[in-house]
Amino acid sequence: MKNVIGLINFHSSPEISPLTDNRPLGSTSFLGRYALCDFALSAFCNAGIDTIGLLVKDHQRSILKHVGSLDSWTRNTKTSQRIIMYNEPGHQNLACNTDLQNIKENDWALYDSNANYIVVAPAHIIASLDLRPILAEHIARHEKITVVGTKVKDASKEFLSENILKADKDGCIYDNYPNPGDEKGPAILSMAIYIINRTVLADMIHRFLPANPSLDLRKLIYQAAEEGQYQCHLHLYEGYARCIDSFDHYMEYSFELLNPEIAEQLFRPDWPIYTKSHDTPPALYGAKSSVKDSMVANGALIEGNVEHSIIGRNVRIAPGANVKNAIIFSSTHIGENALIEDALIDKYSMITRSKKIGGTKENPLYLHQGAIV
Amino acid sequence: MSIKIAAMILAGGKGTRLQSLTRKTAKPAVSYGGKYRIIDFPLSNCANSGISHVGVLTQYESSELNTYIGSGRNWGINGVDALMSVLTPKQTEEGSSWYRGTADAIYENLDWLDEIDPEYVLILSGDHIYSCTYNEMLNLTEEKDADCTISVCEVPWEEASRFGILETDEEGNILAFKEKPKQPKSNLASMGIYIFKYKSLRSALVADAKDETSDHDFGKNIIPSMLEGGKKLIAYTYKGYWKDVGTIASLHQANMDLLLSGDPTINLMSMTGGQRIYSEDNHATPQFIGPKATVKDCLINQGAKVYGSVDHCVISSDVIVEEGASVANSVLMLGARIEKGAKVVDAMIGPHALVEEGEEVKPEKGTIALVSNKKALGR
Repeated sequence: MKNVIGLINFHSSPEISPLTDNRPLGSTSFLGRYALCDFALSAFCNAGIDTIGLLVKDHQRSILKHVGSLDSWTRNTKTSQRIIMYNEPGHQNLACNTDLQNIKENDWALYDSNANYIVVAPAHIIASLDLRPILAEHIARHEKITVVGTKVKDASKEFLSENILKADKDGCIYDNYPNPGDEKGPAILSMAIYIINRTVLADMIHRFLPANPSLDLRKLIYQAAEEGQYQCHLHLYEGYARCIDSFDHYMEYSFELLNPEIAEQLFRPDWPIYTKSHDTPPALYGAKSSVKDSMVANGALIEGNVEHSIIGRNVRIAPGANVKNAIIFSSTHIGENALIEDALIDKYSMITRSKKIGGTKENPLYLHQGAIV
Repeated sequence: MSIKIAAMILAGGKGTRLQSLTRKTAKPAVSYGGKYRIIDFPLSNCANSGISHVGVLTQYESSELNTYIGSGRNWGINGVDALMSVLTPKQTEEGSSWYRGTADAIYENLDWLDEIDPEYVLILSGDHIYSCTYNEMLNLTEEKDADCTISVCEVPWEEASRFGILETDEEGNILAFKEKPKQPKSNLASMGIYIFKYKSLRSALVADAKDETSDHDFGKNIIPSMLEGGKKLIAYTYKGYWKDVGTIASLHQANMDLLLSGDPTINLMSMTGGQRIYSEDNHATPQFIGPKATVKDCLINQGAKVYGSVDHCVISSDVIVEEGASVANSVLMLGARIEKGAKVVDAMIGPHALVEEGEEVKPEKGTIALVSNKKALGR
């Protein structure tokens, strides 16, 4: 799609301490093999969008390490454009380190482009969403702004970092406000995916940003509608969608994908999820290992027991070790006869022989990167 | 900038003894180790040796192999100044013919080598499994100012008559070379890995091409004629894992060598940094081990789903082992499917092959069964 620019928005992801103390949520590991932003990048790639910008807020090293030159998500490495967008002045003034200031700073997307449409997708929402029919609808209806939303069963428990949307029968959004977290029951929540006509975005930034430099895209769309400047159209997405808005949800949504029926909704044969290749060998299992109900990434070496867990790349689990209800990030070593239960162990950690650590199902333990226990 | 060394990989062989696995696939493209194809090994070795000019000579069922090699991107041989070429037999002013032998294959592509004009040429087989760099062998060639260095390994004396055997003096100079000698005088077997001074190789190949009685083979013709002509040929002793898999049983064994219980001289997990074996990434999901599965002593690639019991197996991407199925001492290739209640022992299950519900695959003791029905396609 030559007339579309895709922007991955790292600004709009919530901070999930302690998981995001040293990395943005978008480049955080997921299911042992992916980074969370792979889902949005794959959506662009599968939709044939080949002008891609990454709106980087901070921790760019972590993002660049994963995405490199974005070759892994690009169909043609010559005809495509891939741009890392970084808001240098935003670092002098953190209140203004917003997605809109970033777009304004890198204004090729607004002014130096032939694209008619800009698609913004967040790095922390997991879905296998086909943008093509949504764009087609946006174009056919001559919309200026389309917001993609999803129906959730209980707004007080899901998509807590996103906006509640209310639309009339025509799909015209008449109310749009941050999820307060106390409205029980079903609602339509924004997936923070926006399709905006390029000239409309340029106009909105020109009009609203000077008066309010800390404005972000989410508020801008709300404000533009509020003041009657631009109407927003709701596209309701019906497939699997999860918003990583808290540490608990990170754990819950990871584990729920161990259920093959749920995993099949996200991983569809016609919808590949691309990620960086690490050229790690297949996983090796020892003669005395026992592994059940788990996802295992390549490069793992398992000689112990693993149950209901997610094992990352290059993880070593020594003989006699027990890992249960746990997520182990890449390159962590679990020593002989150690016991890990209800925990997330971050990268490059070492659990020494016979150590027992863990939390509870309701309150899992987090062990920071590089910990030696 | 002058080019130190270019590699030519002989990948045209049919591999008849691999039966149906090579009916539609060239032997170097046969899958191995759950993730790889055999040719990933020599190609990764070239990449890890810093060799950036590689020609792959293909002939038999070449389209799958040619497609796989592509631009060399899988092995990183696509950087600045790098050149990865698939060299198939071609039509010329003199006519056209298939490659008549290993030496003829190189001879027919002297124009490719002339264009690069390397100081040395490395000749490799596309169907050997081993992990090394060729730098030490090249250093030795330069140090001794040899016209040709042949990589050798020690084989058991009783098997020596199956190989091309070299006799050397104390300094490693090659005195004689005999293909499959009845009474071997040494147990140093040629591994089919050669480094030639390009000038010496070129003149030997041109002379050989004119000889109508020649089989145009490196072992049978080129090496003996260079020895006769008084050229300096030396041996380089290779220590480490090296396999030329010719049969279903030896391919099965080479797979089992990769397991933790297998051969400690080949360990994929220890091949890190500049020793990795690179391959195609197939965008598969992480592997999933089901709640009732048992997995013992296995090598399993991403994208596999195991709900049944697997013991002493090598399992590729997109394989499904259903609940209640049991598989032991077997290799399950890309997309194979073992339905519930099926029992598989001592087998190679080919790409996209199906073992149906309740079916039993069990060969005679001491042999390996091969299932290659492609019936799992579209299931």
